[in-house]
Amino acid sequence: MNRRIFLELFSKAGAVAPFIGSGLLRPGQALAVDFNRAPFEAKTAADVLRLTGTGGAEATRDIFLKVPEVAENGASVPIEIASNIPGTTRLMVIIDKNPLPLALQFNFGPEAVPRLQTRLRMAESSRLRIVATAAGKHYTVFRDVKVTVGGCGD
Amino acid sequence: MSDPIKIRASIKGSEGEVRVLMPHPMETGLRKDPSGRIPPAHFIIQVSLSLNGRSVIEGALGTSVSANPLFAFQLKDVKAGDRVAVSWLDNTGQKGAAEAVFGAS
Repeated sequence: MNRRIFLELFSKAGAVAPFIGSGLLRPGQALAVDFNRAPFEAKTAADVLRLTGTGGAEATRDIFLKVPEVAENGASVPIEIASNIPGTTRLMVIIDKNPLPLALQFNFGPEAVPRLQTRLRMAESSRLRIVATAAGKHYTVFRDVKVTVGGCGD
Repeated sequence: MSDPIKIRASIKGSEGEVRVLMPHPMETGLRKDPSGRIPPAHFIIQVSLSLNGRSVIEGALGTSVSANPLFAFQLKDVKAGDRVAVSWLDNTGQKGAAEAVFGAS
């Protein structure tokens, strides 16, 4: 990771602290993920956005997304995402061209940093979308990732 | 039954980092195996993290997460001795769980 982005990321994460206790971030709020599995069965990114009510997500530069521009192995594409938007409670990853585009949804309580690293499968070159939710509003960022060898057939 | 979860908890400044590896095939139900059969979908649908018994991160997964899912998360204001627990549930009802204690930094 680029050192400057890394430092920015962590200095901004600290900016959330003043909101704790102000009522904007309520400790003890329900953390359960909406275990509605329908968005995970949707076959297009448009349907995922519709079923999760995030179609109107606003483009932002405050979501950090690190993913290779060219992924050699679609079976395991490393990804790191973080939201610098104060009060972020949910992150979602959508891989437009996968047969089932919704990869994951995570809810973060006030004790957690809205940030995660994992590895994803990509069937082919595709747009990758991140949607962050904060105070009931949705924000998004996307990146196109080129895949050399697809990762759903092995 | 799957291999046990590998979990590592470390403190960096006041933040705690949790790295988890959950051995699981994450079968999509869409691919053909070498004999031409399609193994049924078998994948983790839910991951939960708790800190000292209190839920802090809850996730839902689809089949686009790689086999043997690996995750890293960050928690705020973690002290040595704090206990982090991770559990998963898959679409067939199987479960896995593990916990770790943050060491002194």
